[in-house]
Amino acid sequence: MFLHQLRNELWKLFGKKRTYIGFGMLLLAQNTFNVIFRFTNAFRFYERTLEGNGYAAQQFLSALSICSIMLIPLAGLLMPLYVALVGGDLVAKEAEDGTLRMILSRPVSRVRLLVVKWLAGFIFTVGLVLVLSVLGLLSARLFFPWGGLFFWNPEFGIFGVFDADAGLKRYVAASIFLVSHAFSIMGLASMFSCFNIKPAAATILALSFLFVDLILQSMPYFREYHNFFITYHLQTWHYLFAQPIPWWRVAQSLSVLAGANVTFLVVGVVAFHARDIKS
Amino acid sequence: MIELRSLTKQFGPRRAVDDLTLTVPAGEIFGLLGHNGAGKSTAIGMMLGQVWPTSGEAKIGGFDVARQRRQALQSVGAIFESPAFYDYLSGYRNLEILSHYTAPTSRRRIAEVIDWVGLTGREASKVKTYSHGMRARLALAQALLPQPKLMILDEPGDGLDPEGLHEIRQTILRLHRELGMTILLSSHLLTEVEQLCTRIAVLKEGRLVFEGHLAEAKSRQNLVRLRVSDFPAAVELLRRERLILDSRDGKHVILAAGTGTDQVVRRLVEQGMPVFEVAAEEMTLEDFYLSLMKSGRKAAN
Repeated sequence: MFLHQLRNELWKLFGKKRTYIGFGMLLLAQNTFNVIFRFTNAFRFYERTLEGNGYAAQQFLSALSICSIMLIPLAGLLMPLYVALVGGDLVAKEAEDGTLRMILSRPVSRVRLLVVKWLAGFIFTVGLVLVLSVLGLLSARLFFPWGGLFFWNPEFGIFGVFDADAGLKRYVAASIFLVSHAFSIMGLASMFSCFNIKPAAATILALSFLFVDLILQSMPYFREYHNFFITYHLQTWHYLFAQPIPWWRVAQSLSVLAGANVTFLVVGVVAFHARDIKS
Repeated sequence: MIELRSLTKQFGPRRAVDDLTLTVPAGEIFGLLGHNGAGKSTAIGMMLGQVWPTSGEAKIGGFDVARQRRQALQSVGAIFESPAFYDYLSGYRNLEILSHYTAPTSRRRIAEVIDWVGLTGREASKVKTYSHGMRARLALAQALLPQPKLMILDEPGDGLDPEGLHEIRQTILRLHRELGMTILLSSHLLTEVEQLCTRIAVLKEGRLVFEGHLAEAKSRQNLVRLRVSDFPAAVELLRRERLILDSRDGKHVILAAGTGTDQVVRRLVEQGMPVFEVAAEEMTLEDFYLSLMKSGRKAAN
């Protein structure tokens, strides 16, 4: 029964056109980045950094480097938007359309329904991250040769240079950890979706929460309190490109995100369970 | 089949359902009547565990809906006004999705129900291509899938044309005759209720103002044909004396609860108005309903 219900949720989720907006836009953005890096001087900035550190830049103008560099803006800006959009729809859209009333005239518990929806959201998140990372790499490979990976993020103090094999492993690991980033945003939007609000309001609330969190976290005054900001922990995947990987930092952020997700789920369940479902 | 005991629902300062106690016996077609905002849909929401009661309890088949949801709703089908579906999926897929919230349902059972409601051949089409009538049939199909013993219909005729209404009426009768279901029908359409239901309950501003057999409601002796020399003056007098609730057609009056025709005649004669004829008449359900709406006093038996 549980698996049937999960399959149903996936049918509902992947049957909607708006679910594919994220996939489509990510593909478009990736190819735009590839074209820009391939046909302009956009990589020159990275070349200078590499050469300044004694590396031959041409070795690292590769598919792996380009798709890793692309991850920063796409995972930081576009992906939260799409997972928040789908997360905000999870419950609120069904309540708005009236289908939730049809479901809740049946002997299914609200907790079970929400857990099934949450799992469907997780599967969507994994799918979106797969598109972001696998198709990102494949599309970059169409424009750039295979080679070593270079990743630089001055904000986090990360400067990673790897040969192709090690680089691929780092890229795969970062993509896996990116799921925790995306799923936490999905969880946040889903939590708001459980309240008696419109789906757009749930999405906007989740994104507003993240923007405010990010703004506060960026203020010098709050630097020493950065552990209390979720956006600080959402960026864990960057550290998979560091040399060496600061596993304590990664584990700390993963623990915080796990706790945050459990909190989102519990608050969502309580809000969903307490509310009246009316036409 | 349905037992509501002192069911109350408060939305902020507004009491949507007030101390509702009601029993729907098994095998009945039971009509739930009331004006817009009378609390019918809220009461149905509480029966289905979609709305939490502020106090009181709702039981279906002896199971408390709030505490034993699975057992209580296992054999219940429900259809709401303007049924909502996943329009971007096929009718068949919608049925598969909704049925799995009750129990695993075989393809054969789904095909059987599609055939019963007359949707064979269109089940693979997306619901967004369905007409209003086809959506109503699909709503019926999803409600029938779990082989319910109780069918709750909340304004099922809303927005349907006369043909659609006729079809709904025939379907309700078939459900009752062929499948032996207990049916709770909430409706504004008094003629539908009059033709279908054996018992009715009337809600007004959240309170139960009548519960009983339809025949009993219609035979209540408060619609009276009155022939006097000056009907408007007589009505004004009787209204002032609170002996009647309303008048209509220039020849009928609706007596207030507890008023007898003898009191009416006595009062008119005392005031010097000759009475040529006074006779009790059987009310239509509409007359009865309107008199209840005007009285506001509980007439539950």
